[in-house]
Amino acid sequence: MAEIRWFWPLVVLALAFRLLLVPFADSLKLGSRPEVATPLTSLRRLAEGYWLKQSSLSPYAGSMYHGSPLLLTMLGPITMKRIQGQPTHLFCSFIFVFVDFLTAMLIRAIGQKLVLKNCKSLKLLDLSKLIESFVCLDAGGVASLIYLWNPFTIVSCVGSCTSPVENFMVVIAIYGACSRIAPLAAFGWVMATHFSLYPVILLIPVILLLGYGPDAPPSKLFLHKNPSATRSSIRIFSWKPVVYFTIWAAIWSCYILLLISIFLKGFDGLSEMLKKTHGFILKVEDLSPNIGVLWYFFAEVFDFFRAFFLILFHVNILFMVLPLAIRLMHRPCFLAFVYITISSMLKSYPSVGDAALYLGLLGLFVNELAEMKFSFFLFCGYIGVSLLSPVMHNLWIWRGTGNANFYFATGLGYACLQTVLVVESVSKMLNYDRILRKQLHTA
Amino acid sequence: MAFDIQGTSLSWSSPQAARQLVFLLLVMGAVLTPSSPSDIPSSSSTMHNNNWAVLVCTSRFWFNYRHMANTLSLYRTVKRLGIPDERIILMLADDMACNARNTYPAQVFNNENHQLNLYGDNVEVDYRGYEVTVENFLRVLIGRHESAVPRSKRLLSDEGSHVLLYMSGHGGDEFLKFQDSEELQSHDLSDVVKQMKEKHRFKELLIMVDTCQAATLFSQLHSPGVLAIGSSMKGQNAYSHHLDSDIGVSVVDRFTFYTLAFFEKLNMYSNASLGSLFNSYNPNLLMSTAFCRMDLYQRPLHEVPVTNFFGSVMKTIHTESSYKLVSSAPGVESSHDLHSVGADRLTLEAEADVVKQIDSPEKRAVKIKRKKFDQQSLGDGNGHQQTKSNKSLVKVIKGREDAEASPFSKALLTRKLFTFSKISLIMELFGGKFFRTTCMIL
Amino acid sequence: MAELRRRFSTFVSVFIIFFFFFFVFFSAIVLPTLASVGDLVELEEEFTEELLLKPLPDRKVLAHFHFEILAPPSPVNGRHHHLFPKAIAQLVHKFQIRELELSFTQGRWNYERWGGSDPLSMANAKPPGVELWATFHRPESEIDHTWKNLTHALSGLFCSSINFLESSTAFSAPHWGFQPNSSVLRYGALPREAVCTENLTPWLKLLPCRDRAGVALLLNRPSIYRGHYHSQKLRLISSKLTGVKLEQTLTIVLHPSVERYGLDSFSDGSTQPSWSLNSLFKQQLMGKCALAKDSRVLFELEHDLASQIDETESDYTWRNAAFELSTMPDRVARVMKSLPNQDSSVLYGFEVSKSSDSMPMDVGIKWKLPLIWSSSHAPVYASRFLMGSGNERGSIAITFQSSHLDEWLSTGSDGCAVHAVVFQVVPWYVKVYYHTLNIFMDGKRQTISDVVKRMKISPSEDKLSPGTMELMLEFPCDMQSATLTLDFDKGFLHVDEYPPDANQGFDIPSALITYPDCYSSRSYQTVDTSHFKSSLLPKFKEGNLVQSYTEVLLVPLTTPDFSMPYNVITFTCTILALYFGSMLNVLRRRVGEEERLSKSKASERRGLIPLLLLKLSSKLRGKRPETMQHSSPLPSSSSFFGPKLFIKVVLVAVLAIFWNYYLKDS
Repeated sequence: MAEIRWFWPLVVLALAFRLLLVPFADSLKLGSRPEVATPLTSLRRLAEGYWLKQSSLSPYAGSMYHGSPLLLTMLGPITMKRIQGQPTHLFCSFIFVFVDFLTAMLIRAIGQKLVLKNCKSLKLLDLSKLIESFVCLDAGGVASLIYLWNPFTIVSCVGSCTSPVENFMVVIAIYGACSRIAPLAAFGWVMATHFSLYPVILLIPVILLLGYGPDAPPSKLFLHKNPSATRSSIRIFSWKPVVYFTIWAAIWSCYILLLISIFLKGFDGLSEMLKKTHGFILKVEDLSPNIGVLWYFFAEVFDFFRAFFLILFHVNILFMVLPLAIRLMHRPCFLAFVYITISSMLKSYPSVGDAALYLGLLGLFVNELAEMKFSFFLFCGYIGVSLLSPVMHNLWIWRGTGNANFYFATGLGYACLQTVLVVESVSKMLNYDRILRKQLHTA
Repeated sequence: MAFDIQGTSLSWSSPQAARQLVFLLLVMGAVLTPSSPSDIPSSSSTMHNNNWAVLVCTSRFWFNYRHMANTLSLYRTVKRLGIPDERIILMLADDMACNARNTYPAQVFNNENHQLNLYGDNVEVDYRGYEVTVENFLRVLIGRHESAVPRSKRLLSDEGSHVLLYMSGHGGDEFLKFQDSEELQSHDLSDVVKQMKEKHRFKELLIMVDTCQAATLFSQLHSPGVLAIGSSMKGQNAYSHHLDSDIGVSVVDRFTFYTLAFFEKLNMYSNASLGSLFNSYNPNLLMSTAFCRMDLYQRPLHEVPVTNFFGSVMKTIHTESSYKLVSSAPGVESSHDLHSVGADRLTLEAEADVVKQIDSPEKRAVKIKRKKFDQQSLGDGNGHQQTKSNKSLVKVIKGREDAEASPFSKALLTRKLFTFSKISLIMELFGGKFFRTTCMIL
Repeated sequence: MAELRRRFSTFVSVFIIFFFFFFVFFSAIVLPTLASVGDLVELEEEFTEELLLKPLPDRKVLAHFHFEILAPPSPVNGRHHHLFPKAIAQLVHKFQIRELELSFTQGRWNYERWGGSDPLSMANAKPPGVELWATFHRPESEIDHTWKNLTHALSGLFCSSINFLESSTAFSAPHWGFQPNSSVLRYGALPREAVCTENLTPWLKLLPCRDRAGVALLLNRPSIYRGHYHSQKLRLISSKLTGVKLEQTLTIVLHPSVERYGLDSFSDGSTQPSWSLNSLFKQQLMGKCALAKDSRVLFELEHDLASQIDETESDYTWRNAAFELSTMPDRVARVMKSLPNQDSSVLYGFEVSKSSDSMPMDVGIKWKLPLIWSSSHAPVYASRFLMGSGNERGSIAITFQSSHLDEWLSTGSDGCAVHAVVFQVVPWYVKVYYHTLNIFMDGKRQTISDVVKRMKISPSEDKLSPGTMELMLEFPCDMQSATLTLDFDKGFLHVDEYPPDANQGFDIPSALITYPDCYSSRSYQTVDTSHFKSSLLPKFKEGNLVQSYTEVLLVPLTTPDFSMPYNVITFTCTILALYFGSMLNVLRRRVGEEERLSKSKASERRGLIPLLLLKLSSKLRGKRPETMQHSSPLPSSSSFFGPKLFIKVVLVAVLAIFWNYYLKDS
């Protein structure tokens, strides 16, 4: 498999670019953009929470901070120290740059594992020309570069918000699962779930990964290839790592809860923490605008329907979990990607950070999704939305000439784009399997 | 609470709401049946014994000055004709008198010759500003308030009372706008009136509306004893009468202007009939045809004096039927629950009246009424207690009250009442004991 | 037996009735006399009325009405009062009020011009709108509930929407910022509340004589509300020992219309306008209220003015070189000099009782010399304003301008420092970032810990409680100006939470700045030996804290489109449906594929559904697909009819039920 030329220089360049932008973070006012920082991830609110804690109040007193206490302990002290004339959250930004680098590296590693597995399985099916098509492109490198150079990532890294860390945790989980390191996977999964509730649905792909290993063509193809295959040649579900995973997940979650309860000693403790973080996510309390659609919906909908629609929207994420799992059982990594995309489309407080993650992961399947439909349309759509939504926001909030509806319209458009993206990628992936099957039959 | 109000205000037409209504009826029926028909005077049999007025100005902002002027002139008229302040619920959606734009602070005029200051020296506004919402309006009419809401903000009418409901604002086909943000639908109005009827909150109701297309607001009404008059037919506008160049806006609407013109000639003893009032509206002057819906109203209009709605009558009802009930257990209970609530100002007054006419059968009458009343109020709603006790109160006060119930006399009255309250407590305590002993003996 | 019973019962009933009437007789005759006897032994209820007039430097006049009713604790009287208003007595009794203050104000008190530190303005300068605070003789747990009921009761009493203070987002419980030692205190303010006749009317009805007699006779509504500032206040203090005290004050700043005095030669532009009660209020003051213990009009000259008059070597007779009073005062008093460098102000007293219908009292002043003076200064002038633009965020700034600090240094405490306590309540939709608190002193940024001595912050909970900030700042004496800034984000509300005129913006109630070191007190002593027995002047003597209210802030919030709900719902649901439908479609597309495959393979003759069923069953059983190859078509075909029929039946049943219900409903 061919290494991408200029890979490392590009990586370094991306990091350098970030570091270049960091000093101008304040003047760019990225930290307060509704697209970048949500009530959950805003570093400004984190600083407020830390300040409240310093003045011996509960960090959740007043509905300002909704993040995790661990982030508070990690980043809080850093938000406090300031250098005159420098942006307020300078050191945090440096940390985020580093975190981004790690994330990219992990994505690369995942990609390489995937490619190897693919080559192996295709060799097993001896579909030679497909292998050639694989050889030409290193998916991992592409993915990591996409992640690093994606303007969304850059913005959410420079504009002070904690979404890079959350993305990092998700990637850790997938990586750990890919390379069958149960403790790592468990850690990533637990942390990600703790930070932002939604990654909890990643449990299924992680377990599948641990059980079956990374993506491969559907198993019946192998059977069709050589019906006389013994059980060994067909992929079988191995329980050992899964059991390890469950044990480790239990351990990690207990450990984290313990840490939190120590940290929140003297205040209302865990119950309040859950109410203010996950509760805040589940019942959409903050109606400040973001690139999603729910804020405006719940600002307008009649109060006595509110509960109903809350349930509807959250269940809507869960609806698709099982069908997808059944249909894409043989491609857990891709399944994870789809889940992430869906949740970042339907979550309460979406931000471009989520988009950054799933677009990065999209790169992993560059070979399978090579001839995806609407790709150009999607590309233009994303650019258009990311240009229009700030304009509309400015017209509405700052100039006072626009209207909430315009900004909401861009939100709708963005939701449409994500819908098209996820649906198309899924159909393409299924098609890809069909193609394999066809060629198997023709061969 | 807010929710069920929503329910009532939004859609009675929807089936489950209808079912609720039926259920309500059944419950009330069930509650009322045990007491014998002589106890519960049906609204037809009860004689008219008190008057209430609900005057609403629904529109906000300075350029709607005239709507407030309309309402205030009606307020002044009914006060002049003898309805005291505590029986007028005045709702003004905005503050015009002390508005920064008003060149005559603390004064409101309905005529460009600034002869008459409608705001006067003792105006009592019960709901004002943001409080004037559809919900509050409905609450006032139905009488379902939070327990904390003071008495002056409640409509404490009963099955013997004539209620005048005047509304002025911007309206349309089957709706009336509140503060440019909400609407009162004709359905809501009819449903509220229906509920009032079921709760015996009025004997006769006169609804007077001065908006565009006012007639459409009455289209859904179907409760008996309701008389409705509106300034304009469907598709017609209600126009303002004239503009005051000093104040800078037009100060009165035509319909109200000519209504007032009719009333200015009257004093509280003159018995001009409603018929004559309705006939006095000249379409050419109004620039719209006043519409009167009288099919729900039994009495012929030319026999009904206007003071039945726009004034107040001073009569006391004399119920001897309840007299013989007194030595029975119910009497005792009632006496207990009477002074168990003694702390409450309201009941104090009620007791006070009770003592006032110690030698008349009124006392027992009141007691029995109250007890009966508790039975009723099991059904639903709060604030019934007040209704009843208020009725008894009204009965007494009416005798004494001079026509334009000046605050001074009112306060004097309450002070007098006060001396008696203490006595009444002691007395009822003993009375109660004796009744109990007799019951034990018998 | 029955006979005997009936006899007995009749006897009993007769006995009852007899006894009953006896009781009535007893109570009707004896009890009142008892009560009157009790009154003789008890202290009497007192009512005093006073009016204080004071010319202001900017050609305006301050009129301060002060009514006080004292109800001593009287076990015999119970709840029976001669003078004390019944409604208030019931409030106190029902809600166990310890202390209560309710003020209706329009206009803003001008601290620079009208006095920033003298007792009168300290006690009566109030924030615009309605301000209410109360403490109760109740356990901590019941207080919120009591407060809510109290607000409703007051709203009914004073024709005002005080009941908006009921919601927990409206009131706060300050610890030490509002009053130095307030244990169980609730504070609420409605900045936008309109104040007009309907509020004054019930307020006047609490007085024994209403506005029919006495000083209150002057209160002609139009002339009051034409004034620059009017604040009507009601203060209750109740305790077991001293009974209940009700203070009602009305402070008005009027602009004297140039009247018959003005016509004469003195009034060129420089001299102050001459005025009299009659010209100010368009009303005559005829006789005192018969129920009042004493009724007096006071006329005060600021100490600065007094000093200037001293320079004109004129004594303080009522007509001297500088000015001339229209009426002969009964008494003259001067302030005992509390501070060495301070001149003492002059006070003239007039007894209203001397006037009558035939001879109305018309206190007034006619200036002869053009005099320019200034009123008492506050140690520090505080003002508050908003910074930033747009509807997303902004920041609140409070500035302190020191003025004549040296004057206060003697009173000021240790090491030459001025303390200022800031008490500020912000509604929840103004989300303040307290960690962005910055303090600049003379343009230089200070570290918080140096300036802030004490801090109590309770941040705002969304839709639950407002944010309360109590700071104690310490400024060095040489400080010229200090600024305190706080950043905030503007919240977004639900459509129903906006008022009808949402685009007007929302009000932040004014903050209270208190200077705990600085007390303002004045004690008067008469020039001639006879001394005042006034109810107003002692209030000046007891030192009250120097304090000042800042401006009310108007924060514009972005509004959603109020007409949109249906569109928004439909649009959003459409998007969801789009996603859901297309995704499902993609997932089940496999079937057609399978079909094509099976067609292409001539080997197998099998319908679509049995294939699916077999696959499904094999999946469920975890069987290998090749085993299913050998399975005979018969069971499959049998299982091919079963479910289909079943599904159909279920479908029909569901439809039937649905229709049935639907028809029932409509």
